[in-house]
Amino acid sequence: MAPDTEIFFEHASLTKPLAWSTGLHIGFAVFVVLAAWILPRHAGSNWGAGGGGEAIGVALVSNIPLPATQAPTANVLANESKGLSKSQPQQQEKEPDAIPIPDKQTKNSKKPVVSASKQAKPEPEPESNEVPYGQGGPVSGPYGSFNVAGAKGGFGFTGGGGDFGIRFGWYVQVVQRKVSENWLKYEVDPRIQTANRVYVVFDITRAGQPTNVEVEQSSGVPSLDQSAVRAIQRIDTFGPLPPDYSGNKVSVEFWFDYKR
Amino acid sequence: MEYRNTIYMSDLMSKKPVVAGAILRSIFLTAVCWFAASAAVVPCSAQDWIRTGTGLGVDKVRIAVPDFKQSTTDAKNAELLKTFDDTLFSDLDNAGIFDLVSKSFYPLEVPGSPTEVRFDAWVNPPVNASMLVFGDFGVTGSSLTVHGWLFDVKNSASPQVLGKQYTDQPTSDAARTIAHRFANEIIFRLGGGIAGIAESKIYFVSDRTGHKEIWVMDYDGANQHAVTHLGTISLSPRISPDGSRLAFSSLTKTSWEIKMFSVDLNRLVSFPSFGGTNLSPSWTPDGTKLAFSSSRAGDPNIYTVDAAGSGLHRLTTGKGPDVSPTWNRKTGAQLAFVSGRTGLPQIYTMEADGTNLQRVTDQGYAVSPNWSPNGQFLALAWFRKYGPGAPGANDIYLMDIASKQWVQLTHDGGRNDFPSWSPDGRHIVFQSSRSGSEQIWSMLADGTKLQQLTFGGRNSQPNWSWK
Repeated sequence: MAPDTEIFFEHASLTKPLAWSTGLHIGFAVFVVLAAWILPRHAGSNWGAGGGGEAIGVALVSNIPLPATQAPTANVLANESKGLSKSQPQQQEKEPDAIPIPDKQTKNSKKPVVSASKQAKPEPEPESNEVPYGQGGPVSGPYGSFNVAGAKGGFGFTGGGGDFGIRFGWYVQVVQRKVSENWLKYEVDPRIQTANRVYVVFDITRAGQPTNVEVEQSSGVPSLDQSAVRAIQRIDTFGPLPPDYSGNKVSVEFWFDYKR
Repeated sequence: MEYRNTIYMSDLMSKKPVVAGAILRSIFLTAVCWFAASAAVVPCSAQDWIRTGTGLGVDKVRIAVPDFKQSTTDAKNAELLKTFDDTLFSDLDNAGIFDLVSKSFYPLEVPGSPTEVRFDAWVNPPVNASMLVFGDFGVTGSSLTVHGWLFDVKNSASPQVLGKQYTDQPTSDAARTIAHRFANEIIFRLGGGIAGIAESKIYFVSDRTGHKEIWVMDYDGANQHAVTHLGTISLSPRISPDGSRLAFSSLTKTSWEIKMFSVDLNRLVSFPSFGGTNLSPSWTPDGTKLAFSSSRAGDPNIYTVDAAGSGLHRLTTGKGPDVSPTWNRKTGAQLAFVSGRTGLPQIYTMEADGTNLQRVTDQGYAVSPNWSPNGQFLALAWFRKYGPGAPGANDIYLMDIASKQWVQLTHDGGRNDFPSWSPDGRHIVFQSSRSGSEQIWSMLADGTKLQQLTFGGRNSQPNWSWK
């Protein structure tokens, strides 16, 4: 610098501080750049909780008690079908079939089939009350209920004083196994994901053949109802009824839970 | 396994947790019933109801089969009892519907009669059984008496499901027959009315005498012996539905003919010769007609004929060889067969009058269709990626007729061919070269439980009897 333009007295040469300044500035800039490169890259990805762009990811909180998005089953109150608590109202008319005293011997033999059944039945009926929400579980108790891979179910051997289920549990298991094996789920409309439970009733004759197959309570999906009925019709026999059993037939109420 | 679609198989064979203790005593209801009944002065024998459903864990029955107890002290007891126990255990094991508890878990004292059964020993861990088979076995003089029971051990109030008594000669064949019969009874009861296969037979081709003759054996490979002694080449044996006649194709001095062998008379019976090359006979399920392939008109085509040999009727027309017919075993109204009309052999189905021809396989080299007893499936031997350098080999496949979905059953190599269904629809017997030479193997219809049945010579083309 020219000596006569020196205004300030200090002779301070700016070279050294300038060099320091430049160096530090450059160093700082390098540091910033390096920090941006070396430090964890995904530091920014925590912002907005992932997703990038405009999407904002959210974490599912499983302990918020939202109602489950499952098809409610067996809404007894709100549909037109006969309902779960299947009494046989049509048999009620036989009530006035009083026992005339002189004919006691002969009439008694026919009566057990008809009147005793609904005399005993009204007792269990009050228990077939409510279906816990979202489960459509077994309605009468006592019953055995359990959870298998999320599908709740159970079976109860109630009904008209019949003790078939207690004495011949192995036969009930045969029925259950065979119907489940013969149910071809691909017959159901492929657009259906889940559906209400469909209840099908049928009789098993002495020889073990299923007869009188009917849909007792529809699931609302016709293809599912049809596949359930066909599952039972496909079966030739369950095996003869146990020889110890004195009745001529057994009635079965079978439900089908469909989940794709 | 690569399942194209889980059809009936996954329901049949899924391993879901055991449904334990599903029977609860409705003592309350029974008591109520009795009270109500006594009020009405009528006994309470009523319309019985069962309520059950899907999704409850379709499981195999857990069954315990201890050795039977000796009821007499005869010298022959020990050896016959061992044959009986082994046969009974393997019959129930092979049935495909039971989960047999291993013998090492059984309690030390073995029950010999219903009064000796201790339910808690069998229901609780480590045995954890739902069913118990037990009984006694004894030789007295020149007769062998066996008592057998099947108990539902979870139901100690009324456990008996079966109680049987058998009497026979004290030979090991008789011990085996009694074991087969008792096993069949158990399988019939617990398997839902489908008879067991323990007394069924398998007919096959064997060259261990130097010529390819038709042989027969029990379903578990025991008791193998020759049926024909023709000294020429005999192939594709097919037993009739009632088990009285065996149809097969045989090379005579002039050509390949369909021959009929009477099992009752133990000799060949007359059957007309049709000219050309006649192969692969197949019986209708009512035993009245045979379908076979004949080249009498030039190209091999499918013909039908009465069981006596009259009424020859042609079913297929068109170019390309049509061979290996098999009837729909449930209805007898449809046939599946192999046709080379598009080049490589493919499987086709048609109605019994030859109409409604439909192709079932889409690619590769497909042969040996065999229709299942319930009418739902075809078992076939398929080489899906056929061609030079293509991986894989001939494997047995199952195809659902209605939906055309297929499942591969064998994977482990060897050439697998000529599948044949068992009468209960749960087992398939086939020939395989996986052991180095062609032998007969059997398996469950989901591809598990492979068992080699023959060991000597070269054995092929098995055919399972109808009952």
